[in-house]
Amino acid sequence: MNNKFIITSVILLWLTWSFLDELVEDWGQIESAPERLETFFYEDLWPPDWSVLEPEEWADGSLHKPNGDLCTENFQMFCSKAWTGMMITIKMAFIATLIGFVISVPLASLSANNLVPIPIAIPARVILAGLRSLPSIIWALLFAIALGFGPLPGILAMTLYTIGYLGKLQYESMEGIANAPLESAMAMGLTHSERLVHVVIPEASNDLLSQLMFMFEYNVRHGTVLGLVGAGGIGMYIDNYINPPFAYDKAFALLIVVFVVVVLIDLLSMSIRSFVTEQGDFKRPKWWTVILPAGTAADHYNKSKSKDESE
Amino acid sequence: MTGEDVLSKDEGSGLKLESGALELLDLSIGYDEPLITGINMKINPGETIAILGPSGIGKTTLLRTIAGLIVPLSGEVIHDYPKRSGIGYIPQRLGLVKHSSVRSNVAIGARTRKPRWFPAILPLGKEFNLDVDSALLSLGIMEHSENPVRILSGGQQRRVAIARALVQRPKLILADEFLGELDRENVESIIKATKSLISETGATLIMVEHDEERARILADRIWIIQDSKIIEEVAK
Repeated sequence: MNNKFIITSVILLWLTWSFLDELVEDWGQIESAPERLETFFYEDLWPPDWSVLEPEEWADGSLHKPNGDLCTENFQMFCSKAWTGMMITIKMAFIATLIGFVISVPLASLSANNLVPIPIAIPARVILAGLRSLPSIIWALLFAIALGFGPLPGILAMTLYTIGYLGKLQYESMEGIANAPLESAMAMGLTHSERLVHVVIPEASNDLLSQLMFMFEYNVRHGTVLGLVGAGGIGMYIDNYINPPFAYDKAFALLIVVFVVVVLIDLLSMSIRSFVTEQGDFKRPKWWTVILPAGTAADHYNKSKSKDESE
Repeated sequence: MTGEDVLSKDEGSGLKLESGALELLDLSIGYDEPLITGINMKINPGETIAILGPSGIGKTTLLRTIAGLIVPLSGEVIHDYPKRSGIGYIPQRLGLVKHSSVRSNVAIGARTRKPRWFPAILPLGKEFNLDVDSALLSLGIMEHSENPVRILSGGQQRRVAIARALVQRPKLILADEFLGELDRENVESIIKATKSLISETGATLIMVEHDEERARILADRIWIIQDSKIIEEVAK
């Protein structure tokens, strides 16, 4: 570790601390925080109310979906608020992410300064910055005012924010690709769109896929917030439960459902990206080698690798 | 550089440049500081030139200037090669798209033969696919055609780069130490493939080499860069 690194780290830590100290007026409020949190957790949240995974039972004993339709599904969970809300949110996030991706890729390619001259890159970056400057909840509010409540304003809000947010991540990834294939393509006389489709996208594919899946996950998570402005989906039910008459235990159960979906999307992302990363090209070490000393773990890895090769 | 540039230059100097030839006229190259100055060279169509010289002396910069990737400090690079498909450039690290399949990489070369307006997302068509197949077969990499380039050996990757140039059918190929640190067996087969590439396409080849023996096997003329100048030798 060199001196510059240590000095920079100390300066950054000191700045962080001094900003925090300036903003927090009463440090005493931390003292009773764990106690208050514990009371809230055990009195209002725990245990989660899993009735959100069941259909609504009406007075005549019939089971119904949240929209009032009779539940005719074999699995009753498919008529529950958690399932129907989550499915609406996932569909909204899917549409917004896909449309946002299709629009953001060409915009990002016009923002990457290794692909276009600066006079083109700057206006394209300004457009992307403008789109992501407004949080999606504000976009949703604007669209809800214009179009009324429901999934459509939510989808439009997510789409615009996706273009701005994903576009920035994408042009930074595009700027990070190796120069050699790009230079070859330029010398060969490929057009901008050919370089984008046949060189840039495949070269940045790992990042682009990772960002796409992250954005999908982000939009699913954000669906819970957009519900607060009437944009539909699971967020609308969470909003109902955190407002009077309060049912935090039901809201907590729905948040656990969102968490499970987010983990599943992460696993899906890992699986999809394995096609474009080099992780499939080599043998992975066993999980328990992580806790062995470095030399011993390497010996074991080499032995098991040569054993596999001889087989 | 375009055909129009050549014509105007010919009119200016009174010299007539043969079609397919390349002329470096009073060329000075470099970035902030000049690396090589006073380059006046003429290369006939189908000739092979090898550039030798120590590291950092400007060999790659010269290739990139000829490729049109860097603007020369002064002077001109004159040729009548078409802007699209006219020049094939194989950089030191080969310039392959490592996550794409071997076939997709080779097809990039074929795509340059389509007009500029041809949509990038459309497939090339049967005739071009046959060309790609034939290049893959002749370079012995057909069995890897669907594999991503990143899993191929150094020698196989060089074959992919040559196959891409083969289907591109350029007038000029610029190759930067593309034989690299290959073993003798691989070098011989790549040299053989390169020679057949030149004879099939009739292209001019300018290559940077660090191995003088290899350079003399492949080239008609050798350019040795010394003290910011180019000294020319006949190779054979």
